[in-house]
Amino acid sequence: MSTSVTNFVPSEDASAHHEEHHHQNFFFTYIWSVDHKMIGLQYLWTSFVFLLLGGLLAMGIRYQLAYPGTEVPLIGRLLPATVASDGIILPGGYNMLFTMHATVMVFLVVMPLLIGGFGNYLIPLKIGAGDMAFPTLNAMSYWLYVVSGLVILASFFVGGGAASSGWTAYAPLSSTPAYNNGTQIGQSLWCIGLFINGLSSIAGATNYITTIINMRAPGMTMFRLPLSVWALFITAWLLLLAVPVLSAAAAMLFCDLNVGTTFFAAQGGQPLLWQHLFWFFGHPEVYIMILPAMGLVSEILPVFARKPIFGYKAMVWAMVAIGFLGFVVWGHHMFVSGMNLTLGAAFSVSTMIIAVPSAIKTFNWMGTVWRGSITFTTPMLFALAFVSMFVIGGLSGIFMASTPVDLFVHNSYFIVAHIHYVLFGGSLFGAFAAIYFWYPKMFGRMMNPTLGQIHFFTVFIFFNLTFFPMHNLGLGGMMRRIADPTAYDHLRALQPMNVFVSWAAFGMGLSTLIFLWNFIWSIRHGKPAGKNPWDSTTLEWTVPSPPGHGNFDQTPIVYNGPYEYSVPGMQKDFLPQNEKAPEGARLELH
Amino acid sequence: MTMKSTLTKILLFAALVLLVGLADVPAAVRDSNLYWAPECVTVGGQKTDSLLNFIFYLTGSVFLLTQTVYIYYLVKYRKRPGSKAYYSHGNNKLEFVWTAIPTAIFIGLVIYSNRLWNEFHSEPPADAIKIDIVGYQFGWDMRYPGADGKLGKVDTKLYSQDNKFALVPDDTSGSDDFSSTELVIPVGKPVHIYLHSRDVIHSFYVPQFRIYQAAVPGRTIAWVWFQTIKTGEFQLACSQICGSGHYNMKAPIRVVTPEEFEKWQAGKIAAKAQETKTTSTPVSPAIIAQRNLAEQQP
Repeated sequence: MSTSVTNFVPSEDASAHHEEHHHQNFFFTYIWSVDHKMIGLQYLWTSFVFLLLGGLLAMGIRYQLAYPGTEVPLIGRLLPATVASDGIILPGGYNMLFTMHATVMVFLVVMPLLIGGFGNYLIPLKIGAGDMAFPTLNAMSYWLYVVSGLVILASFFVGGGAASSGWTAYAPLSSTPAYNNGTQIGQSLWCIGLFINGLSSIAGATNYITTIINMRAPGMTMFRLPLSVWALFITAWLLLLAVPVLSAAAAMLFCDLNVGTTFFAAQGGQPLLWQHLFWFFGHPEVYIMILPAMGLVSEILPVFARKPIFGYKAMVWAMVAIGFLGFVVWGHHMFVSGMNLTLGAAFSVSTMIIAVPSAIKTFNWMGTVWRGSITFTTPMLFALAFVSMFVIGGLSGIFMASTPVDLFVHNSYFIVAHIHYVLFGGSLFGAFAAIYFWYPKMFGRMMNPTLGQIHFFTVFIFFNLTFFPMHNLGLGGMMRRIADPTAYDHLRALQPMNVFVSWAAFGMGLSTLIFLWNFIWSIRHGKPAGKNPWDSTTLEWTVPSPPGHGNFDQTPIVYNGPYEYSVPGMQKDFLPQNEKAPEGARLELH
Repeated sequence: MTMKSTLTKILLFAALVLLVGLADVPAAVRDSNLYWAPECVTVGGQKTDSLLNFIFYLTGSVFLLTQTVYIYYLVKYRKRPGSKAYYSHGNNKLEFVWTAIPTAIFIGLVIYSNRLWNEFHSEPPADAIKIDIVGYQFGWDMRYPGADGKLGKVDTKLYSQDNKFALVPDDTSGSDDFSSTELVIPVGKPVHIYLHSRDVIHSFYVPQFRIYQAAVPGRTIAWVWFQTIKTGEFQLACSQICGSGHYNMKAPIRVVTPEEFEKWQAGKIAAKAQETKTTSTPVSPAIIAQRNLAEQQP
């Protein structure tokens, strides 16, 4: 195993050539690697581990909501004493499950997978650079992420158990251990974990921004950047500006818990201060998680529609607008929190406005498939589903943006449905699309298309069966974060729907195993991919799969935009960015 | 097998799964109107429902329209032998149209919403019944004004075992206030609630009223008022995670006829007077005399 990763595949000339010069031992290849591609893969693998864990936590949540007060089959007796007793989930333990499910999924899965994994892997390859601007900082930011994950996980096994005040950790529940079953250590570890995770994000963001600004290949102007790079660039700015606020808030919460400060206490502090700080980070965070997925999907749709992306500049400006507006909408999480009512009205306006760029993007994606020549490969299916699921998640958001309706549906299952349509149907479907799409580049082999299609249809159907009924549960008056829905009269009649949702969720959980099996199996047994299996135009497809150390033998020179498909007057139906347009090609200037 | 037949089969299969899934839900649930919101029993709630329905039809039609077009494109423009994609980088006129239309719709929606939002939070009518509602881990206490019709002043620093409502001692209007563990409301009368919390953030949530409002420790939330239109029994729920007992932090609500309410109120006031007489609360003799006088009146 002590050879380079390029040995996984029948090596192509260039990678074999590179291997000779960069033969390093196991430790420097797999553990402390400073190669952006290996770091990207490290992020990917680690986030899979956390995805399984976060998924299991979700299964625990769904089991409890379907069958409250009964013993969890198989693993019930193995759960820590703070979570379950005699295999039955405790109400306080249930609070830990959903708190940690969200914390793991947001900070240890979606962000590292989309930004850490694809950001690291793709940015240098797509802009024609040999590596990131700061390779060692890059390695450090991966390892900080691992440490933050371990710290957060460790909290399950400390006295009092893990944090249980929700991933939003509203004070004073989170800041006063006496109010929350003495979860002082767990909540403190949560703060430390997020702080370390924040350092990782900030280091990563600095690296991405520097790399994209300074290391583009000759000819790679800003408006020739692939949209995924634009998306990651804007995301990096959001991270750089929003994450420090969360880090500061986490540090303040840690002090409230451990050194007797009262930043967020009712007397001598202000509970709403926490919410303002948290959501000042938390709303840009929503876009931090969806923008990269939007970028990746914008990359995949043109390839399988064999058409240029519709409205490239409109797409860029829409993302820039989202980036700016994302910082002035945080108050829409707080309409009914006790915040000033006029402020609520103002945030309602900004929230409606931020929906416009999202609508623009959706219309442009539809414009991209219009009059295309579409093939339904697995990455394309996920990318197409992303658009539809994002439409549902976006439209359900309008309900909450309308203040009087929020007065009714706030903190109900309606919002749970909404966030999962955006975060799972959006971000994770985007991530799946990206994995199927760039897997051949990463491992030199294709993922199995049949298993891929089975995975797509099972996860797509079970996803909708799980989350769509949650809209109805929410309108029916089901609150979020309650350990036992049968405690209320009006919810008892809804219980069959909860049972239904839970079984759909179990189905969705199982479908992920198909994906993981395909992912691992294909590393050795997939069909060899070659340089450019999808006939794509961007620079990563001009080098061997996987690319050797340093990526490019010579720095590429860029002549075209990233989406020149089906150019009239050309023999082949795509024009790579580093190829001069042949005689007679009628390129449209835009 | 062509792509079209595969796609059709898949769509049919998806429809089948959805139908079978829904049929699986017991008939009792299907008949109970639980696929939509529970019955609405407040004047404001009905307006919220109109807005909710409006947004539902709006977003529903946008969804159907966009998805129909989208799926039509996917089927129509699937790859076929000899088909070639149309080379186009976009269209600025279209960009303008699909920026302007959503913007106009959203501006309209925000005007509609804000008008209703302001209406809900307008000054409550002078004859509104005032009720102090205090959340704690894990339950609710209500406080109604006594015979004087006035709620005693609250200082949130004063919450303690002996002073459950954090009443300011030198405000005499509070000494005749009575407490209750259920929320009793006369139908048709405006009700103005004051929300407090003794420990962490809780929230006042009654789905049938279409009202959610957080109660923040250290603060008085004084802008919620509503008017019921129907008698009935409901449950007050806490809908903000507040600790291990959160899932069960509830209180009964009874919306009753005005006559029933007056009877209940009179009983409570009398019981409170009895209690005040037998205990040695430091109340000035003048106030006791006044209260006795009030009691004697029919």
